[in-house]
Amino acid sequence: MPAVNGCAIRCEGLTRHYGDVIALHSLDLEVPSGSIFGFLGRNGAGKTTTMRLLTGLAHPTAGRAWIAGLETTNGDHRARETFGYLPQDPAFYGWMTPHEYLDYVGRLFGLPDKDRAARIAEMLELVDLQDAAKRKIAGFSGGMHQRLGIAQALLHRPPVLLLDEPTSALDPAGRYEVLEMLARLKGAVTIFFSSHILADVERICDHVAVLHKGHLLLVEEREALLARYPINTALLQLDPASPPAQAFIAAVQAQPWLTSVGEEGQTLRIVASDVDAAKRALLPLIVAHGLLVARFEWVRPSLEDIFLQVSA
Amino acid sequence: MMITMAYTLSVTLMILAPIVAAVLLRRRVQAPWFLFLVGAATFIGSQVVHLPLNDWLADIGLLPGNNSLEASGISLLQTCIILGLTAGLCEELARAAGYALLRRFRRFEHGLMLGLGHGGIEAMVFGGVLTAATVSSLLPLRDMDLAALGLPAVQLTALAQQLVALENLWYAVPPLVERLLAMTLHVILSMLVWRAFDRRQWGYIALAIAYHAFANALLVYMAQQWQSISAIYGLLVLILLPGLLWLWRVGRETPIARPSLTPWRVEWAAFLAATRKEFIQLWRVKHVLAVGAVFAIFGMLSPLTAHFMPQILGSIEGAELFADLIPTPTVADAVGQYVKNLTQFGFLMVILLGMGAIAGEKEKGTAALILSKPLPRWAFVLSKFTAQTALYIGGFLVGMLGAYYYTLFLFGPVDLGAFAFGNLLLLAWFMPFVAVTLLGSALTRSLPAAGGVALGGSVALLLTGYLPKIGPLFPGSLLAWASQVGMGVGDAPIAPQAGALAASGVITLVCVIGALAAFERQEL
Repeated sequence: MPAVNGCAIRCEGLTRHYGDVIALHSLDLEVPSGSIFGFLGRNGAGKTTTMRLLTGLAHPTAGRAWIAGLETTNGDHRARETFGYLPQDPAFYGWMTPHEYLDYVGRLFGLPDKDRAARIAEMLELVDLQDAAKRKIAGFSGGMHQRLGIAQALLHRPPVLLLDEPTSALDPAGRYEVLEMLARLKGAVTIFFSSHILADVERICDHVAVLHKGHLLLVEEREALLARYPINTALLQLDPASPPAQAFIAAVQAQPWLTSVGEEGQTLRIVASDVDAAKRALLPLIVAHGLLVARFEWVRPSLEDIFLQVSA
Repeated sequence: MMITMAYTLSVTLMILAPIVAAVLLRRRVQAPWFLFLVGAATFIGSQVVHLPLNDWLADIGLLPGNNSLEASGISLLQTCIILGLTAGLCEELARAAGYALLRRFRRFEHGLMLGLGHGGIEAMVFGGVLTAATVSSLLPLRDMDLAALGLPAVQLTALAQQLVALENLWYAVPPLVERLLAMTLHVILSMLVWRAFDRRQWGYIALAIAYHAFANALLVYMAQQWQSISAIYGLLVLILLPGLLWLWRVGRETPIARPSLTPWRVEWAAFLAATRKEFIQLWRVKHVLAVGAVFAIFGMLSPLTAHFMPQILGSIEGAELFADLIPTPTVADAVGQYVKNLTQFGFLMVILLGMGAIAGEKEKGTAALILSKPLPRWAFVLSKFTAQTALYIGGFLVGMLGAYYYTLFLFGPVDLGAFAFGNLLLLAWFMPFVAVTLLGSALTRSLPAAGGVALGGSVALLLTGYLPKIGPLFPGSLLAWASQVGMGVGDAPIAPQAGALAASGVITLVCVIGALAAFERQEL
């Protein structure tokens, strides 16, 4: 049994092949206790496969995994008490109410009657479903499903939460609610959080791993990772009255010092390989194209920039 | 009555003992249910060759076949040796074929489960089903004049001896003891063949064949010499001893994968929670209402239809003449109509209501979420089977009460006990369909696929009754028995089909184990 000290999740050579397709290749990973760990990857990177292997719902081709010191890849039922799991699209019994579903889950975990009733009320309050506690789940929105999913995952007070893309199906308000809820749990449980929405990960995670085509590319503390990358990005926010930036972007793309240029609404992110050359060239280019600038600043690359760089 | 109870207990234990042994084995070692079924398949496969081979040897004059030893002129020793060798060759080579195909399952504990499956299905079929069939065919002869049967003197004597033995309650015990000892022998033989593959020393297969042949030949030979059953079983124990000693020694020196044990009470509590959920679900999704309504309608409508058939025909223009041809309806017509209605539509209802039990949960994703909790897969599957069994028991109760009341009202007194027993037999006929639907649901991932497998399995079950020679041993025979018992009147001799009843139990159990085996390692 590997050491558990300070480590909530541990994977050793975790591998899964589907025929010739390598969904996950020899994943070695340690997730520190108490962290909110962002597990990043594009669609099809192997994030859900990792989650299913960790929960024991799929079987590894090779390798093993432990959660809170108990192996989850050998069919040990006791290991299931060490984590709460929220799949990407949680499916519930539509004929049940949230209260009944949580009661069923509580019974499976062997929670005594009194504790179960108190815990259900606590969880319904945490996820703000008290008013819908007696309504059938069949009529719930995506956000309500997700919140009920978090409640069922937390019900038995697990030391580890496994959340597979918990915000991907939600609207902005739903995403905000769920992220706030997760942020509130920081320190109380270890959260292993897979996502392809980098803004979410950047917002709440303190550790980050990047998975690409089944291979682990990077594991690091978020701050250390961001600090490791130099200030090489010019953030250019245009005034709403500014003329279109297409000609300017085309001109920037022709520059030899350019790494990448991204446009999101009125904001341009220009990543340079030669920062000095870029600093000399950018302002004259802005002036030449008659752009009206609301904000111009040299910043560190975002997690998204780093992600795109490492998974290119 | 005591005789029936004693043999019922004996047959039940013969059918359940292998499963109990497998459950206990799985608590000690990591051995999937799948291997139990492979073991069972190797037994059935071996018999597909073994039985025709013995017939052929009889045809060419090496075995006596249906003739007595005296009439055939073949010595007892020769018969015993050849029978032992054919059994050893067929069964051990089938076992070897099983190991050859199962490259991933060649651990010590796997061999134990394979042996249990092989010996277990033999105990269920040769022990449970055939004992039940034999006893139920002997019971009606007890009060008969045997001379009226017109049998040859030798057979008549043998039959009279069997009937005398039947009166002794203790004679219900030997078949059970014999099967338990035979199952032990099969585990030893399975381990010998495992050893051949584990060590790549093929001599162990020859040793298994020789051990099997020696045990069979010696026991059959001595059974003809000794009158004492205890002495024969004592001899069998002596034959087993060296094998058990070898197995114990090999077990001590072989690393065995142990399962991570969850206490029974924890798993049992999870099973109860899952079963509770299933009951609530059946109520909420209106399955209880559907089954109750269907059974109530068939129960009430069957005697009504039988009673009013002449009037119905008489009221149809042009069909008045047929009304006169129909004899006055009786209780037999009412019961016959009830059985016909339930059996024609019943299995379709079972498929429609049961096909989504597991496949539906896999398709929707509810199974993946709930099975990430400490709910054992066996508890998930068995909770569904338990709830469905209870649902149909309730359905039969409703149908029976409706049919009984209307039959009583329209036709006169009916023996309630006999009518209830007839319904119990119908339930026994129903259960393999429930189990085969569960199996289809466990094997597949979508409702149409589950329905297709369940329908295919159900049709296969219905066709088993037409199999030559062994057809009467399948559940279809229960319908005739249920009809006769349910009438409770008339002079027609009631022919018990306890073999079919036992077979119904075996098929149900094997299908449920199949569902467990399929679902046990399935990814969600």
